[in-house]
Amino acid sequence: MIFKHRKVLYRVTFVLSVAAVFMLGPLGGTAPGADSSFDPAAMSDMSDFDPNNFQQPEGDTIKLGYLQIMSGAAAGNGELFWPVVTWVAHDINKRGGIMVDGKKKKIEILKGDTQGKPAAARKETERLCLEENVDLLWGTSGSHTAKAIADVAEEYKVPFLNCLSLSDELMNEKNFNRYTFRTLSNTTQWNMALSYYFSKRPETKFSILCQDYMYGHAMADAFKKYLNKYKPEAEIVSEDYHKLWLKDFAPYMTKIMAANPDILYTADWLPDGDNLINQARSMGVNLPIANIYITNPDTLASVGVEGTRNMIFCYSWMSGDTPQTKAQKKLMKEWHEQWKTWEAPYDSLLYIWPDFVVGQTISDTYWLFDVIQRTGTLDPEKIIKVWEDDVYKAIQGVRTMRAADHQAVFDMYVGEATYPTREVYEGAPYSEGYAGVHKVIKIPQKYCTPPVPEGLKDRVE
Amino acid sequence: MDPMTFICVTQFVHGLAYGLLLFLVAAGLSMIFGMMDILNLAHAYIFMLAAYLGYTMTGLLNFWAALLLAPIGVALLGMLIERFMLRKIHPLGHIPELVLTIGIGLILLEFVKWIWGTQSLMLQPPEILSGLLSIGVFRYPVYRVFIIGFSIAVMILMGLLFYKTRFGTIVRAATADAGMVGALGINVPLVYTLFFGFGTWLAGLAGVVVAPFLSVFPGLADQIGFDAFVVVVLGGLGSMSGAFIAAILIGLLNSFGIQFLPTLAPLLTFGLMAVVLSIKPTGLLGERQ
Repeated sequence: MIFKHRKVLYRVTFVLSVAAVFMLGPLGGTAPGADSSFDPAAMSDMSDFDPNNFQQPEGDTIKLGYLQIMSGAAAGNGELFWPVVTWVAHDINKRGGIMVDGKKKKIEILKGDTQGKPAAARKETERLCLEENVDLLWGTSGSHTAKAIADVAEEYKVPFLNCLSLSDELMNEKNFNRYTFRTLSNTTQWNMALSYYFSKRPETKFSILCQDYMYGHAMADAFKKYLNKYKPEAEIVSEDYHKLWLKDFAPYMTKIMAANPDILYTADWLPDGDNLINQARSMGVNLPIANIYITNPDTLASVGVEGTRNMIFCYSWMSGDTPQTKAQKKLMKEWHEQWKTWEAPYDSLLYIWPDFVVGQTISDTYWLFDVIQRTGTLDPEKIIKVWEDDVYKAIQGVRTMRAADHQAVFDMYVGEATYPTREVYEGAPYSEGYAGVHKVIKIPQKYCTPPVPEGLKDRVE
Repeated sequence: MDPMTFICVTQFVHGLAYGLLLFLVAAGLSMIFGMMDILNLAHAYIFMLAAYLGYTMTGLLNFWAALLLAPIGVALLGMLIERFMLRKIHPLGHIPELVLTIGIGLILLEFVKWIWGTQSLMLQPPEILSGLLSIGVFRYPVYRVFIIGFSIAVMILMGLLFYKTRFGTIVRAATADAGMVGALGINVPLVYTLFFGFGTWLAGLAGVVVAPFLSVFPGLADQIGFDAFVVVVLGGLGSMSGAFIAAILIGLLNSFGIQFLPTLAPLLTFGLMAVVLSIKPTGLLGERQ
């Protein structure tokens, strides 16, 4: 009798296993405790990938609206993330696409130039939604432009992956909409992680130098708030805000040195971040600089080994010279090998590794399409249903999309730069001529997860 | 030396270095705008182009070769612009000039993005200008000392050129009364072309000198062009001495403002401009509005 039941059990298990294999499809299986996982084994052979020659599929496609700054002085943003979206699309397209509405569809990418301006972002998003009939939106640098896109996304009911704008306010009670999902860490997550990290270090005196607009002040305020929480004995010995695109950092450096801090904290992005470190080091200011965006290898290589040795980076994705997961190792190797074949502008050191923002956005884009695959349709309401509360084992770490405010929560990473760094794989040193991230410290999610905004707590059961 | 004196002296030198850098950028603009009455909004973009050329030539040759060749390159470009574009437009007034030079600027912007891409490029100064210079308790970056010395040398060179050479005399005469100078048998259009080329050569010098100081990126023209324009207006149109004083004042206000009035520092330059122009609409040493 027992033997008979066991036989039935084996048969049921076999049938279910076969069914599961068919149902999971090409993007990956499911890790324990997660709704889905990125599967490195399923990744296509990427040896024919070239961001300069992305092959757009024809016919019935999944249309992704790629919204970035593509003109003017900040056009580098649009250029930077093009290899990201095309990499993911190329990989999935080579696998035959994604099964949606009973049909395998490949991914087509349609560009929209936000110019870094809300009005232009709104116009381009409307064009993509109304004229191009995009199914999904992807973007964008600058919280003010992301807000414009989010508004249009809600108006036309198109899911919007915000993987680049970090202002807390974007997802608060006032600005939240059901169609926008943020996969990037917000201002609070960033500073909780960094403050927690400093609570474990001996330094107590901090100087703050940020850009003088809403973002810079918000970052500094969050840093002060959580440093006070995690390290009450810490002291802010100087606090300054400089205008955007500052030419001369020397007066600030003199002021900071007079305050005698142990650490300089900055949230500056480019070009200010580049100029800050370059001018500080040229003046003999060799303080450890804790930052987010001074990660461009071209800049670091220019500053050299000594100037970069004592930098501290904080990000929601960090590999450095030690990729932590199998998927991360595979991505780092595949990307780096392909990078060697790319031509301008993608042959610069900026693209040498899929690390920091590049790695994070690749991972987030895979997550978006994993959700689409599991939804099995491009119906926005069904996509929302699947993505809310989704637990995804991403290329690096597990990410959970909070249903209440559509803010992804996860572990954060802090890295210290050193030199020389290890080879990521045989014959591929992480950095040459500058200090790169060697020691990556994981900040567990519980220390860097902000509360759900009060007015959104009861939004979902 | 007590700490406050040390800080004040250091901030003074910072202000001087930054002011002189601004002067270097603004000098050519002031000449072209003030003396030729040409509103050349492409000046900052020519400066940016020179910074990119300086970056590439330093990589291919060295910094000194770049400092020699890149300004010559943009000067030739400037002469072509004057000869084949601005000369025809100039008699029509400032609005066509404005539109044309903005257009040239935008073309140059797209050109540098096409050639060099959109990312920031960093250039380190040559070995001899790297490191810190120690004078007593002061340690100051050698490259900033170079900027101070180089800018002063350029100012002296300009003074000699305009007041001690025949070319300078002709230029001053031609910009004051072109008809009279032409009647003397001097090829005034050629003088204008050479003079415009000299102005863009100065922009070229500034571009190469700035390259190791600021990251070179497509926003460089916007980043520094506006400040250069403020220097020209504040100093008085066409007045080199006025531009020099204005640049130094802006540099000092910037560095001391950051030290002592940090929240107001970004406004001090505009405050100074408002005060000066309300008292003397022609600028510090300018003679015409």
